[in-house]
Amino acid sequence: MDVVVQGLLLGGLYATAALGLSLVFGTMRLVNLAHGQFLVVGAYLTSILVSVIGGDPLLLAIPVALVVGLLAYPIQRYIFTPVMAQGEEAPITAAFGVGLAIQTILILVFSSDPKSLSAPYATAQLNLFGIPINVSLLIATAIGIVIVIILTFVLKRTPFGRQVRAASLDAEAAGLVGIDVKKTYARVMAISAATASIGGVLVAMSFAIAPSSGTGWLLRAFTVIVIGGLGSLPGTIYGGLIVGVVESVGAVTIGPQYRDLVVFGVLVIILILRPNGLFAKAVKA
Amino acid sequence: MTRPQSSVARLVRNPTTTTIAAAVLIAIVAIAMSSVVTKGVANQLTELFLLVTLALAWNLVGGYGGQFSLGHSIFVGMGGYATAVILTLFKTPLLPTILAAGLASAFIGVLLAYPLLRLRGPYLAVGSLGMTLAVYGWMINWDFTKASASYQIPSYALVSIPTLFVFSTVLVLVAFVAVVLLVRSPLGLRLVALRDDETGAASLGVRRVRTLVPVWALSGFLTGLMGALVALQKGTITVDAAFAIQFSLDAVIICVIGGLGTLWGPIIGAIIVYNLRQYSNDFSSLALVIEAVIVILVVRFVPGGVVGIFSRLIFALRVRIGKPPASIATQALPVVKRRARR
Repeated sequence: MDVVVQGLLLGGLYATAALGLSLVFGTMRLVNLAHGQFLVVGAYLTSILVSVIGGDPLLLAIPVALVVGLLAYPIQRYIFTPVMAQGEEAPITAAFGVGLAIQTILILVFSSDPKSLSAPYATAQLNLFGIPINVSLLIATAIGIVIVIILTFVLKRTPFGRQVRAASLDAEAAGLVGIDVKKTYARVMAISAATASIGGVLVAMSFAIAPSSGTGWLLRAFTVIVIGGLGSLPGTIYGGLIVGVVESVGAVTIGPQYRDLVVFGVLVIILILRPNGLFAKAVKA
Repeated sequence: MTRPQSSVARLVRNPTTTTIAAAVLIAIVAIAMSSVVTKGVANQLTELFLLVTLALAWNLVGGYGGQFSLGHSIFVGMGGYATAVILTLFKTPLLPTILAAGLASAFIGVLLAYPLLRLRGPYLAVGSLGMTLAVYGWMINWDFTKASASYQIPSYALVSIPTLFVFSTVLVLVAFVAVVLLVRSPLGLRLVALRDDETGAASLGVRRVRTLVPVWALSGFLTGLMGALVALQKGTITVDAAFAIQFSLDAVIICVIGGLGTLWGPIIGAIIVYNLRQYSNDFSSLALVIEAVIVILVVRFVPGGVVGIFSRLIFALRVRIGKPPASIATQALPVVKRRARR
């Protein structure tokens, strides 16, 4: 029971980390290979702010998320969107290049040593009906759910959301009725990067994070959205919870050193059995 | 009236033969010089040749096949570990062992190909990346290969720097010739056809699995041999070094910069990347940043890479002087795809 609860909370963290990837995929069918690096950038920038002005990492994550979003906007507008017209391989290569650039710049600036963010409450443990609960993971889960609610509201109820959904359904037709698809895409990427950056802060509160951890987190996030249904935001939460539980149970039954093997093994098996994701039909922004 | 050509003349006119002959000649010269050049130069050339081999092998799958693999470091690690383990357990002579390691890696290539071939585009990239990390997660805990501790190559098998240089020269020659022959064979044409228009190729009877599995096997074979030589060069092998994602990254960077799906792209790309790294020796991360930026710029502005630029220039020149370009089959064709309209 303890293990399952721990897994669910871990899953909440994974879901939060994966939301941005899911949003971008749902809107423009782009697998952003640089997603993991966005997470890491968020964590590192927040750690700078914490050490310079001090204060709570969670509060500081908000301005950092804005900055990361602003940085991601031109990346989508001037790199990804133009190459998306070239076919399938070009955006992958471009995202690969962006991720690599971000990762090595981080190594240049911060060296490759792992870092983690600490807050007084992050390491605290609650006791709920005799089950120990990590406060930092609980916060992460809560924030993830809040972000899903906000994003769903924005997508379903605002003019911007309508533009995003129109562009995602049929970019050409959306352009014909006066929607600036390129700007819409760039804004979606900015939102995605901002949530990734918040996810990165939450990750760094529970795990050590290094410039090279981006790849591992990209894969975890991808596993989550493949299980939850590619591009579906509520699905991302379910996917996260499933991955978290599978990983925790796997770690207990097989051995904690095989955590990664369990998660990535699950990813590979799902991709083999259902090459377009577990719920291939549930693709909707 | 056409004059019947002698068989020799036909051979000389065949671009495949002349390309291979030139490559063999260069390799012979390089091997002949192996005893003359200094150890430093031999070492550097060995590294360059191994990089070229890796890129040539990746280009088969990633360039000609259009399958963005991030799993090639599995082959490098497999080749290295197979060499070390076989040498230690069976005390076999070196050359057959390297060959066995290559074959083991080719087998892994077939094993990986079957599941990976169900994936396309970004899924294949992420799937192969997942396999890399899963294999890493397995190897770092596997006691049979001493888990995370280093695995020594037995001292009887270690070779001198000039010998290793000869090995790597032969390997890069083998890789080049294999790529030339494959790409100009019916199999190679089917491979490119599948990349460019899968439905069209399928309607003409090109089978996806039957075409791609041998290519993955060959790519795995060459990469495994390269991994074996990397292990020999280092003398000891660790999971972190042998299965490093960096190998996959290097292959992608080199091929994108040089020109995806071209014969000379991996070679030119490897030379550029290698020199960049030599000049920024103290800042290997800086070189990587520059490479990443070049990759982005290439994808954005010159999708054909360096080779693409040159083949376009030559094309333009030929058109200008009124000489139509040679037959399409012998040209370096850069990957330029049009987006399917929905």
